[in-house]
Amino acid sequence: MAAASASPGLDFLRRFARNKAALVGLFVILSVIGLAIFASQLYPRPPLRIVGRPELWPFANPRHLLGTDSLGRDIAAMIVHGTRTTLLIGIFASLTATLIGVTVGASSAYFGGWLDETLMRVTELFQTVPNIIFILTIVSILGPDIWHITLAVGLVTWTPIARLTRAEFLTLRDREFVQACRSMGMSDLRIILGEILPNALPPVIVLSSLVIASAILFESAISFLGLGDPNIASWGGLIGDGRTLIRSSWYICAVPGLAIMATVLALNLIGDGLNDALNPNLRDRS
Amino acid sequence: MKMSRRELLASTLAAGTLASAGFGEAQAQATPKKGGTLVATWGGFEPQALFVPAGGGSSPYFTSTKVLERLLKLDNKLVFQPVLALEVTPAADFRSYTIKLRPDVKWHDGRDFTADDVVFNALEYWKPISSGGALAGLTSAEAVDKLTVKFSFKDPTPEFFLKSVLAGKAGLVIPKHVYEGSNIITNPANNALVGTGPYKVKQWVRGSHVELARNEAYWAPGLPYLDQLVIRWWRDPASRSAALEAGQLDIGVFNPIPAPDLKRLEATKRFAVTTDGYLSSAWISTIEFNSRRPVVSRPEVRQALLHAIDRDFIADTIFFGRAKPSIGFIPASNPLFSNPKAPQYPFDPKKAGKLLDAAGFPVKGGSRFKVNLVAAGWFEENVKLGQYVKQALEDVDVTVDLAIPDRATSLKRIYSDYEYDIAISNNSGAIELIPGWTNFVTTSGIVKGAAFRNANGYSNPTLDGIVSNLTTEVDEKKRAGLAHEFVRIAATDLPITGLVDIQSVTIARSDVRNHSNLADYLGESWSDVWLDR
Repeated sequence: MAAASASPGLDFLRRFARNKAALVGLFVILSVIGLAIFASQLYPRPPLRIVGRPELWPFANPRHLLGTDSLGRDIAAMIVHGTRTTLLIGIFASLTATLIGVTVGASSAYFGGWLDETLMRVTELFQTVPNIIFILTIVSILGPDIWHITLAVGLVTWTPIARLTRAEFLTLRDREFVQACRSMGMSDLRIILGEILPNALPPVIVLSSLVIASAILFESAISFLGLGDPNIASWGGLIGDGRTLIRSSWYICAVPGLAIMATVLALNLIGDGLNDALNPNLRDRS
Repeated sequence: MKMSRRELLASTLAAGTLASAGFGEAQAQATPKKGGTLVATWGGFEPQALFVPAGGGSSPYFTSTKVLERLLKLDNKLVFQPVLALEVTPAADFRSYTIKLRPDVKWHDGRDFTADDVVFNALEYWKPISSGGALAGLTSAEAVDKLTVKFSFKDPTPEFFLKSVLAGKAGLVIPKHVYEGSNIITNPANNALVGTGPYKVKQWVRGSHVELARNEAYWAPGLPYLDQLVIRWWRDPASRSAALEAGQLDIGVFNPIPAPDLKRLEATKRFAVTTDGYLSSAWISTIEFNSRRPVVSRPEVRQALLHAIDRDFIADTIFFGRAKPSIGFIPASNPLFSNPKAPQYPFDPKKAGKLLDAAGFPVKGGSRFKVNLVAAGWFEENVKLGQYVKQALEDVDVTVDLAIPDRATSLKRIYSDYEYDIAISNNSGAIELIPGWTNFVTTSGIVKGAAFRNANGYSNPTLDGIVSNLTTEVDEKKRAGLAHEFVRIAATDLPITGLVDIQSVTIARSDVRNHSNLADYLGESWSDVWLDR
């Protein structure tokens, strides 16, 4: 441990802050979270309400700052309320994927043998199916509902996490400290969760933050194709609705498109920052 | 503000109609030019086969009708015109009809077209396969001589009804010498068609287009004008409009491009937009109330909910003005059978609220009751329609759970599982009400799993009786009276009704002449269209 730092937490923050791009990313994500929290205060009316003339351009009317879509719904209200959908899907899909991925990766590396073989073949099976087709299949079978979409995205994005976890576990499972635990008679579960996992987790966390980004993109793609949940405002759904008007009112697609781009980019920057902060090889690099 | 926008819209529409009328006159005056290749498409996808004997939707109908012909056709003034039949005459008791056929008509393989072909079609194809029971009363069809056929019926059969069947989707004439003794539905000839029409199938490049070549031995002298007709398919409306602009496409029927693009392309003067040619294939957006669900099975609830929906908004905003508020279940464009005097439900949310209060559904905890709304996701407009209707009903304190499933799931939920309280779907049909339109509300129309039939479970003996009289009433005036009563009952009980009548649109390059001149142009032979190049 570096003796100079006051505490591990501060040390982590200092190293994260060393990456300026990551700070920008963090700022964007915090703003998105802020919008999600205060959406109901900013736009108290349901966001899918028709409030004005259709196809009103951004900044043409101060009441509808970002304009209105082809039905006359306020784009700003839909963007702000859409942050909830976006974050909800991103976070829960990422949690689902991390849970599945870590479970599969950890058990296959720790126990090895036939379990490893089976789990890795299953992982490869999931990896070979094109993600978007797999998601569309699940959603069209279960029905277009936000929780089904979250589940579907989680189900296709866990494979890289499983592979990464497995690789980390493989390097750790025969180290002395693990063997010491074994000789002390610790249970497998306790070794996995209490000893190996904390050491294997940093790269997995970085990857999970990237899964949030791809989950957001998947949700947008599904909504764009018209399979999203029609009862809630979503960025992808807004783009899909505006598609036929791309020649005349392109802002309907552009505004949510920019929102998605900014959010996904920000998550990637945060991922880089986390990598810098959590990677022990970079720890003493100044 | 709103009013002025609507007026503006009305005036642009009127100007459009005038312009297209002027265009029609110019068409008639010019001398047709021969030759050239016309590339055509429609607002949908490639067909499963070039000809689907049992129906199969608009796509095979579009391709097969350029090769196969019918006995009659219906023009834009709703007069039946001869094609393969010169005349169709009823006997005094309307229990039999004599059909005189056109002489010197040859099949594409050189054989003569005769009365035997028509007898074969009537008994082996139209009655059992294509007409959906419309010809159930046909007891015999016999060849009187080489060019005369006599049809006999169990009951008196209305003339307009029979001619509608002969001129309609079910009435294509297929060659007896190719199909006799085979299974018509699976005969390989369905993709290598032999017909009497103005075009012969040259080749079908799957996934792209079908080439139809001029039939040099066509019975009408000098026709067709074109050397070649190519029907090409695009998967996406925006790419069709790009193809038009790039000169790769000459004419698109049945709403080929996004509505907002129509105005833009029309403004270039290189293209002409028309709504002609759809009189006998009118499309409507429908709202349907499931009679199996207690709350929405009550007519007073249905009437109230209709008062909550602003059809002008739907027509102006969702359809970009390319639709008109419906006046009932039968499109207003149907001059024979629609009934403008049937009960109407103008937009009035306050009245809707009062009616719901009176029906015993006061607002409790912010909501009167909850409904499942299913909007069939096959048209882009239905997506917006679903979202709008959800809001309109929520404005009168009805909680709505909206689903917009894809095509297959929508068909299943609405027509097989009956898994909805309120459904938004579409219906299209000919001028004649039987059987297409009536099947949506009659008891015999309830066939689980059959798409575009009675999915709402409505069963009313009075209405069934009227429909049964409609099939045998031969006096056209009395028949119209029965139809008006049919529409009135449907508009009172509201198992299903129209939200808006969709205005189907054709867009063509300005040098494509003499098109859209019949009541269902997508399904006509296109023998007289020509290119002014």
